[in-house]
Parts: sequence; C-alpha cells; structure tokens
Amino acid sequence: MRIEKDVERGEAITLIVDGAPVGAFAGETIAAAMLASGDSAFRRDMRGEPRGLYCNMGTCSECLVTLVASGRRGRACLIEAVDGLEVATHG
Amino acid sequence: MADRYDVLIVGGGPAGQAAALALDGHGLAIAVVDEQPRPGGQILRQPPGHFRVANWLPGGAYDRLKAQLARFEGLSGVDWLGGHSVLGLLSGDDGFIVQASGPEGLRRIEARRVLIAAGCQDLAVPLPGWTLPGVYAAGGIQAFVKSQQIVPGDRVLLAGTHPLQLLIAAQIVKAGGTVAAVLFAQSRAAMARAMMTQGAAAFANIRNLLMAAGAMSTLRRAGVPVRHGVGLQAALGEDRVTGARTSEGEIACDAIGLCYGFVPQSALPRAAGASMRVAGRAGGWAAEHDEWMRSSVPGLFVAGETTGVAGAPAAMAAGEIAGIGLAHDLGLVDRATADRQVAGPRRERSALLRFAAMLDAVADPADHLPAPSPETLACRCEDVSFAAIDAAIAGGGSANAVKLLTRCGMGPCQGRNCEPTLLRRLDAAGRHGDRGFTQRFPVRPVTIGDLADPA
Repeated sequence: MRIEKDVERGEAITLIVDGAPVGAFAGETIAAAMLASGDSAFRRDMRGEPRGLYCNMGTCSECLVTLVASGRRGRACLIEAVDGLEVATHG
Repeated sequence: MADRYDVLIVGGGPAGQAAALALDGHGLAIAVVDEQPRPGGQILRQPPGHFRVANWLPGGAYDRLKAQLARFEGLSGVDWLGGHSVLGLLSGDDGFIVQASGPEGLRRIEARRVLIAAGCQDLAVPLPGWTLPGVYAAGGIQAFVKSQQIVPGDRVLLAGTHPLQLLIAAQIVKAGGTVAAVLFAQSRAAMARAMMTQGAAAFANIRNLLMAAGAMSTLRRAGVPVRHGVGLQAALGEDRVTGARTSEGEIACDAIGLCYGFVPQSALPRAAGASMRVAGRAGGWAAEHDEWMRSSVPGLFVAGETTGVAGAPAAMAAGEIAGIGLAHDLGLVDRATADRQVAGPRRERSALLRFAAMLDAVADPADHLPAPSPETLACRCEDVSFAAIDAAIAGGGSANAVKLLTRCGMGPCQGRNCEPTLLRRLDAAGRHGDRGFTQRFPVRPVTIGDLADPA
C-alpha cells in the first residue's frame, strides 16, 4: 500500500510490466511501483518458482528485471520508473 | 571517461558525509559515489526528489543525522555520483583506479585516496519458504517506508532477535499499515541478562533507548502483539506469503520481515586486499583500521559499518575521524592539529562502540536462527539447497571449495547472502576459522557488454 499521510507524490505515470500497464508516480522505483500494484514476483528461479524482492538495497539482486528496450537487466529496487518504461520479469 | 579526484568516498551515509564535511575547505577535489540516487545511506534513505513528505522521520535519534545530511547537501565542492555501483578498485602508483557502473555504463575514476564507507546489510536468514515473494530483509521493508513511502504488505509480521524490529513496526503503524506481530526468538529474560552484563553502556546512547520506548508505546496503542521466546519456523504460501509458522502456532500475514541483525558490506575492502576481522555475533567481516581509520592497504581508508556494525552515530564519528586522517595523510593538516581535532570524535565513538557491543549481545542471533530443511535454499542466486552444501561440506574443503562444487556464492549477490550461512554450517561441522569466499571484481552485477565496451 502507498502511504497517504503527509505524502505528495510526483506526476502519475505508467510502466509496462510483462505487457500490462502498471500505474506509478514519478520518482518511484520499478520495485515500489510493482509492489504497490500487487506484483510481487520479479523473476522465476531455476525451478520456475516466483521470486520476490528481498533486500531493497541493491545487495541481493533478487529483483533483477529485464529492461525491454535495451535488453539490459537491472535491479528494480535501484532503477527509477519512467513513463512508458517496459519491463519483463521472465528473463 | 576518466575522472580524477584527490579523495573518492564510497558511500553517502553518515560516515561518508562526515568525512566529506571534515575535508571541506582544504581545496581538495572530492567525490562521493553511492548506489542510491540521493545521499543519506540506509539510515536516511531519502524519498525521491519528486516527492514532498511532511514530517519525514520524526524522532530525536534522527535529528542529528538529518542536520548533518543537510550540511552535506549544502557542500559546493563535492561531486555527488549517485546511482553508481563501485565494482572494484586497483592500487596504482599514486592512488587508485576505481571502476563504477551507472546508468550510462562503466565509469573509470582515479583517486589519490579512497575511503570505503559502504555500510551494512541485514543478515540473510534462510528458513523453509524464505524464497516466497513477500519475505523481506526487515531493513528492506523499513527502506520502503522511509523512502518510497509504501508498506509492502497489508499485514506485516516482523520476526528475529534484533530490537530494531520494534522501531520498524512502529514506523509501519504510524504510516497507516498493519503489523500482525513482532516476534523475538529470545526470551525477555535473556535480553535483560545481556543488557545487564554490559552495564553502563546501556546509558551511553539514551536517545536510542528513548526511541525504543516510544516505539513500544506506539505498538501498544495499536494493539500489536510483541512476543518473546517465539521463534519463526517457516514462511507459508503457494506463490507468495500467506502466513508464518511459529513455535506457538500459525500467524496470517502477507509480508514477513526478518530481523536477526546486520553484517558489514565487506566486498570492496576484501577485494582490495584489506585486512579483515570477524565482525559481530551476526557474522560477516569487518575491515581493520588504525586510529586514523586507515586500512591495511596504503591510501585506503575505511569508516562506518564497513568496520563493524555500530549504528549511525558511531559511523558519523568514524567518518569525521577518517576525514581528519585523510587531511593529515595528504599533508594538509599537521599532526598536532589533527590530534586536537580527532579527540572529540574518538571519545564519542568509544562510548558508542560500548553501546553497540551491548546491542550486539542483546540481539545475538546465534542460538535463535530458524532451522532450514534439506530442500531450503542456502544460496538464493544459484538455487543451492542445504542438502547440497551439507554434502559438499561432508566431502571436506573450505568455503571456496564448496562454492566451486555447488555454485553456492557464485551468483549476482556474490555470496553476500549465503556466506554467513555457509560459514556457520562449516563451523558446526567442526571446521572453524574459514576465511570465507575470495572476493573478486566485479563486486556488483554488471553486464558483460559494459565490461567489454567501457564508455
């Protein structure tokens, strides 16, 4: 849940996660936007099981997602969401 | 692109800020590099620049830290290199070559002196179900509340041995979230005993104690159960967490924060060849240093949690000592002046280290860690189970040998999560004193393309 009390956010933007639109606010990380919208799986492990973000400080790399435009993988907890950014959680 | 600085500070938390402030005014070219976009460190993970948050992080213990952060942000002579991960550093003839990766790819930075103030991380605690989405390091949940202004769950359970979880729970409640319970695995009597044996140290940092008392009353008012002697046994759920099994029954929740203590971020000093010591009771490695915060590597300074987890005020004092030490080392301040300047921060740091030792004893997770099952993953990155590492341990060999046999520690986290687990397992098998994994470049994940085609 997004905290409402005492918080003014940036402008509303839209991320694309696995092809589906996800509402976000300017300045949010990809991870925060995904979690706030109920997307808790950031990748699949070797058994095909969903994995969530774990440390939220760039250390565990559990939130590695693929930035579709560049093909680069990045830690969703460190990357700021921008309007129209497309992200894939399936490698 | 090559940048040259007199001093490069790795980490924009309390220690790095204090060092930069102490170095200000000497005409040095200084840069501070940090993975986060804004300075603050984990203790003051700032909201995004687009946000306006009224009454951000209230409470006496944060005031001095926020005041220092404001002074740091007001420095005009310091380059802030946010959003960059340092991958490694090499000693050269007159200083260091530092490789960092950022949004535009690789960046090469030359610096005459380097200060590593890289902070700490939560001890990763494997238990059945801990790879389910919804299980977090407690510090990760707290960082969401502080910075991104979200609570990652509708009903959060905090479990572990470290008193910080009381503060995190209170912050969640104040943010409008719901905390299912706060579970301490150790008994209240054991915590009191640990506090008593460390005696007067408890009063060295009265602000922290008052903050804990304030957190308790917030939780009481909200009706959040705080229980002692209740151990977390498993995270339950299919595709994500829906509950927890504890030694006293099941608790419904959709997020679990594991709070068993903290270990230093040690990869950079280790990869640089700095002399390290065993850190606190939670495990991990701390960089050794002299009275000026010089590591064993010429020109490489260390400060803050990288040298042992002792809390933000102690990191501030250590950063100031390092800044004065750097100025002296660069010939900008004579010995007598430097001695006079460090007296205050040294005294303060000593008192705070005594408090930290008390907290370390109170929060000691050693006898309270959940029991993994053979299928539980010890290494999350490479999906290596306890059965696999135990088999490799039984075959003999060191942590490095187990890594080669099983891939435990070979993934993108570079062993940060699994190394303490593996070392405990080796210790339990009678193999004491293992020095852990050999740390190599790059210490953070980077694409092969960036390494092959540096900007």
